[in-house]
Amino acid sequence: MLELRKIYKTFNKGTKHESELFHDFNLKVEKNDFISVIGNNGSGKTSLINIICGSLEIDSGQVILDNEDITNKKDFQRYSKIGRVYQEPSVGTCTDMTVLENMSLADNKGKSYNLTRGIRKNRIEFYKDRLRDLDLDLENKLNVRVGELSGGQRQAMALLMATMTPIEYLILDEHTAALDPKVADIIMKLTEKIVKEKKLTTIMVTHNINYALEYGNRLLMMNQGEIILDEKDEKKNKITAGEILSIY
Amino acid sequence: MKKIIIGLVLILAIGLFTGCSSDTQATDIEVDQYTIGITQFGEHASLDNCREGFIAGLAEEGFIEGENLTIIYENAQFDNGISNQIAQSFVSKKVDLIGAIATPVAQSSFNAAKDKDIPVVFTAVTDPVAAMLTEGNVTGTSDKLPVEAQLKLIRAMLPQAKNIGILYTTSEVNSLSTIEEYKALAGNYGFEIVDMGVSATADVPLAVDRILPQVDAMTNLTDNTVVGSLPVILEKANAKGVPVFGSEIEQVKLGCIASEGIEYVELGKQTGRMAAQILSGEKTADEIAYEIIEKSSLYINSHVMEEFNLSLAQEYMDRAMDVAE
Amino acid sequence: MDIFIGILEQGMIYAILALGLYITYRILNFPDLTVDGSFPLGAAVTAYLMTNTGDLVATISLGHNPYIICLYALMAGAIAGLVTGIIHVKFNIRDLISGIITMTGLYSINLRIAGSANVPIFNLDTIFSNSTMDMIFPESLLRYKVIIIATIITIATKIILDLYLKTKSGFLLRAVGNNEILVTTLAKDNGNIKILGLVIGNGIVALSGSILMQQQGFFEITMGTGAMVLGLASVIIGINVFKKIKFVKATTSVIFGSIIYKAAMSAAMDIRFARASDMKLITAILFLLILIFSEGKKKKVKVDA
Repeated sequence: MLELRKIYKTFNKGTKHESELFHDFNLKVEKNDFISVIGNNGSGKTSLINIICGSLEIDSGQVILDNEDITNKKDFQRYSKIGRVYQEPSVGTCTDMTVLENMSLADNKGKSYNLTRGIRKNRIEFYKDRLRDLDLDLENKLNVRVGELSGGQRQAMALLMATMTPIEYLILDEHTAALDPKVADIIMKLTEKIVKEKKLTTIMVTHNINYALEYGNRLLMMNQGEIILDEKDEKKNKITAGEILSIY
Repeated sequence: MKKIIIGLVLILAIGLFTGCSSDTQATDIEVDQYTIGITQFGEHASLDNCREGFIAGLAEEGFIEGENLTIIYENAQFDNGISNQIAQSFVSKKVDLIGAIATPVAQSSFNAAKDKDIPVVFTAVTDPVAAMLTEGNVTGTSDKLPVEAQLKLIRAMLPQAKNIGILYTTSEVNSLSTIEEYKALAGNYGFEIVDMGVSATADVPLAVDRILPQVDAMTNLTDNTVVGSLPVILEKANAKGVPVFGSEIEQVKLGCIASEGIEYVELGKQTGRMAAQILSGEKTADEIAYEIIEKSSLYINSHVMEEFNLSLAQEYMDRAMDVAE
Repeated sequence: MDIFIGILEQGMIYAILALGLYITYRILNFPDLTVDGSFPLGAAVTAYLMTNTGDLVATISLGHNPYIICLYALMAGAIAGLVTGIIHVKFNIRDLISGIITMTGLYSINLRIAGSANVPIFNLDTIFSNSTMDMIFPESLLRYKVIIIATIITIATKIILDLYLKTKSGFLLRAVGNNEILVTTLAKDNGNIKILGLVIGNGIVALSGSILMQQQGFFEITMGTGAMVLGLASVIIGINVFKKIKFVKATTSVIFGSIIYKAAMSAAMDIRFARASDMKLITAILFLLILIFSEGKKKKVKVDA
């Protein structure tokens, strides 16, 4: 379980532009939740994720992950249990390295990056299988530089890479926002499949209301640092797009 | 992109061709022709004087540029890498002799030429022993400063002075050995040496400000950086009423009060004559031990002396050369 | 012919410097000025270990063994890289400035280590001239002794580097230079990896300084000035000339870059209207031309969180 307790965060403290975003913010994420987080710009949904991942510092409060207080843990330390996919496809991969090298890099997460071979020959078939699932012909492009792939291909790889090793939490930071609708759909279906297969507790920030409604078991809507809507399971399924828009 | 590759290949080719074509020597049937390479560490009045003297010394012994002597002159611009490349270039051109002015180029030349049967004759190397230029196909002259004579001069002009200041550059190996000598002999004349090191020209003004209050007079070494900053040093020292003694004639011309110095043209000539001996086959470089100039020459600047209201005993004035005339 | 050999000699030795800079500048994307200090550091350590006659030095250098001394030079460079890395990572000082700080401090340190601004080693054993080498090289091959030895060392360094870059650690190093954010999500600390890269790069640079000093026969405190520019030029020339030729690895092209650069400098010296003093200007122009024509530099990934 992931919990945010009594979070306070003010931006630009002590200056003219001082603005408080989170005031006694609390959130409990249950195991296997798949939460879609929506809200307009400035609502705090991105800040929320960054607080969880450790890239945004808080003024006071706690972040508890699986009963461990990780408030003071550095970002890279938190990522041992967390996988994250960003909006920009280039951010989730190493564009100067090949597909095979990227897969190998991600495959080693959690283990030692020592002087043994970077590419494990006996894993190549495994990588090919995973890539085949994407149906983007990447299994035949193992030695192509990732920078030369399309945005959709890169983002698909980013998703694969983020979830290749055993993690418990998956953070999706508007990960389909920069893709064409067709590709976005593919990625979303892939996301659902992976989350189910690996039983990942997922938090997905998105601007796409349809995706928010269609995927996940829980819907969170934020506004100015507060949760104004939090519905789960059946209640969530009943919500319509029209209702959401009216709240916006 | 193709253009770049073509361009670079062209450069490479030119480099090879010029190298290859220089391998062949022009031989004149009538007179023995000689080609020598002169490498100078940097542009600097004393070093230029050395070169002048070197060429003159060779001419005195019958090796005249344009007649039976071709001179390739290169300047290393105080750069270690260029110094090495010049040395290698001379060696690949198979010159008959290399004249090297100042320690780093002397060492580069010696290193490049040592297995190649090309003698190296250096000048303006203050300490050939420390520079390891005493064994092998190498010889030359040392511009070791007449420290004792300079101390005598300062005492003669400033009977009451106590402290002498010396500015030097930490990267010049010659400076340190000279300062050691100053410190060793200063006591005999009732002086104390105050030395201050700088690492770049930019440091000089501040260093001068700091040293002036502590001293009654300043004296220079042949330190390139300090000598290059002489105008600044003189301005500040004059303002504080501290006379600056130079180490050779050019400095006295610039405004130093006096100097028991080495005549660099003479030093160059002496070196040129040694080179002539080697070229004519009379002696080989390892048969000639390096030489120093024993006698120092006294230069004074009477204008500056007037301003400071200082004078010298007649025995000095008799042999002094006044640059102010 | 001799000129050609001379160019190859210098080109090969400085290629090691270029390889070191390749790691920091190209792979890590870190403009490292430490190099102007770590290059002569390798030479200073070599000078000290070769000329010092004390018992301790004789013991740790295994009797002034030049090959062991090279290793010490490498270690010294590694430490210099470590210092820059710590300044940058732990004290959060910008990359360029961190390098400058270390480089500036090293000027004084190098002087201390070497003992004097100029230390000749003409008659001492070096990796180029010692009893073993004298045995291996017959009279006929003497001309090529330096170039052969230098080439062997450079190629060996290149191969070791290539092998390293294929390891998991090497992958991570490449990842840090390309995408720090990804490395963080891989639960790895970017800072430590950057430090590792600086350690490796400067170790190699110091090794090249030691080898150059052994070839030129003396240590000179100013020999580091411009080392970074020289190495950088070699890297950039090499990478750009061979950009379209895929089968040439980056590390190989960097070695060629060094040779091409030295050839250009040598040719510049023979241009009738140019004097030795124009070399720096020619260097600058050449460098600028290459930079202008280099397209699509590696892009570093930055995302505002």
